[in-house]
Amino acid sequence: MSWLDELDVGRGELDTACGGAELPPAAESVAYLRASRKPAVAQVLRAADREARTVVQPRCGVGGHAPMLGLLRTLRGARPGVLSVTIDAYTRLGRFGTARRVLDAEPVALNGYPLVAHGWRRGRELNEAVRVPLEIRHGSPDARVLFAVAISSGISSFEGGGIAYNLPYSKDVPLARSLRAWQRVDAACGRLAEDGVIVDRELFGTLTAVLVPPSISLAVTLLEAVAAAREGVRCLSIAYPQGGDAHQDVAALRSIRVLARRHLPASVEVYPVLHEFMGVFPKDLGTADALVRYGGLVARLGGAVKVINKTNQEAAGVPDGPANAHGIRTAARGVEDAAACVDLDEARVREEMYWIQREVTELVDPVLQGDSLFDDIAAAFRAGTLDIPFSASRHARSAVLPAREPGGAIRYLDPGALPFSPGTRRFHAGRLRGHRDARNLLEGITADINYFLTEEGRASTTSLRATGATGVRTP
Amino acid sequence: MDEAVEPPARTVLLGVAESDAHAVANRLIEMQLRGHGIEVVNLGVCTPLSEFAEAFAAHPDAEAVIIGSLNGHALEDLRDLPRLRAAGHIACPVIVGGNLSVGSHKSEDDDERRLRAVGVDHVLRDATQLPLLLDLLAGARLASDPGEPGGGVHRVLAR
Repeated sequence: MSWLDELDVGRGELDTACGGAELPPAAESVAYLRASRKPAVAQVLRAADREARTVVQPRCGVGGHAPMLGLLRTLRGARPGVLSVTIDAYTRLGRFGTARRVLDAEPVALNGYPLVAHGWRRGRELNEAVRVPLEIRHGSPDARVLFAVAISSGISSFEGGGIAYNLPYSKDVPLARSLRAWQRVDAACGRLAEDGVIVDRELFGTLTAVLVPPSISLAVTLLEAVAAAREGVRCLSIAYPQGGDAHQDVAALRSIRVLARRHLPASVEVYPVLHEFMGVFPKDLGTADALVRYGGLVARLGGAVKVINKTNQEAAGVPDGPANAHGIRTAARGVEDAAACVDLDEARVREEMYWIQREVTELVDPVLQGDSLFDDIAAAFRAGTLDIPFSASRHARSAVLPAREPGGAIRYLDPGALPFSPGTRRFHAGRLRGHRDARNLLEGITADINYFLTEEGRASTTSLRATGATGVRTP
Repeated sequence: MDEAVEPPARTVLLGVAESDAHAVANRLIEMQLRGHGIEVVNLGVCTPLSEFAEAFAAHPDAEAVIIGSLNGHALEDLRDLPRLRAAGHIACPVIVGGNLSVGSHKSEDDDERRLRAVGVDHVLRDATQLPLLLDLLAGARLASDPGEPGGGVHRVLAR
């Protein structure tokens, strides 16, 4: 059985999706990937990890092929460690015909690169146009066709998972369906690994992007990681979204390796990744740059092997090429700053790590102790014992309500039906006590979401200045 | 306890316009209204008007249909509203709020006039005003039709 067969998509269905352009034989794609002169994403991450570096990766994707080639070449000059091919919304939802029609009529109307419509030969052209390896970033509850075209294109990293690429992106896709579709992608990666091709599978912990409590993000990616490892995935990037409080964010990033050691086989490589702040960005260019740089700093302090950068155009919309290149350089500056002495309160980091890991354990243990991982995950979301705030999907309850404590850390204002112990509940209630007048819930949460538009939030981007000999040198 | 004096539940139908997947404000509004003692049937993101009409058929005593839109396509998403209202498929006040037109230079009066022209009753810029607006609508309903079954005095006493 080939990696392509593992996907369990009929050949006819694949050919139709690809507009009649047949994919190369499974073995030819394996040979192409193995013969590639450029490093695979897994090799870039392994080298960065060994040398205690943090590589920077932008998001980028435009509809037309020539503009996409141009964009990748523009960004190459900023020295990213990995480059992205961000996929358009039609392709994400499996509407390949619509993507092809819009591509023919008006490519600029697409909000990403429709790889399936362009086809694997153009995918290889993108791949060969730049020295650094590419990753596919998207948001598909069922990405099997896209995965087939990506691997045929020689692309060595693929983002997504059955929970986090469903609940924030779709209104009514049952978790059982998305989990099984991603199981096939993971099984294909397992098969590719047996053939000597290590595909980096990145898990998107960002969920709905605003006020995501660290333990929710980590619980979701950990469950996806366990599912992937069971199918033979050998390289996992586990991503976490920057919340805003440096100590909490560093603690969350450092917890990724601890949780991986506890729950994943030692044969799986695990790399922590930070998504720079995904919420509302300040309009002022200087303030936005400070936030982008702060993300690089937090990534390095937390031991992230990769950071996905933002730009100073985020407040306005999708950044243009030059702004994205500037964003890569600015995030890289933050990574470098972190190598100097930084005044990080390690006792506070340890305290945050304790609570994050305790909460994740309380969330995932009941699920992992069951007999059937996917059924148990779906049942837990139905019951609200797994949950995410602000879900776009009706398959999560969204009874959880997060809020910021005065220092910026994200806590549970209402844990909904999450199976937290009394001690965990007391901790969160205590940290938020007196923080907000309950009558102004909407205004309060909105202010927490808009944190980096407020003076308090802006101040935190500059609170971790290098402080010379009094600082704590971090790994 | 005498069941007859139990105030009937107040119910609203909430959702985000058809082309729009923004869930955060929708969830916050749901929580805010629940906190205000109102039952919320939340249809969630990407909800076509036909789904609002189905929900109204299932909850004919709903006090209002509340439609959020953040991507600027509200008017396009609501183009079938006159037909549905004329056929009685949405026979309660319709409230629309959010970012109501594309582009950074807006005329709020213009946006509101166009939405009213397709049958929107109230346009809100600030979701925190929703509970007050719903209370006012409930009060007005009481004043105009105090004998209304399932509504009237009980609704106001429930406050």
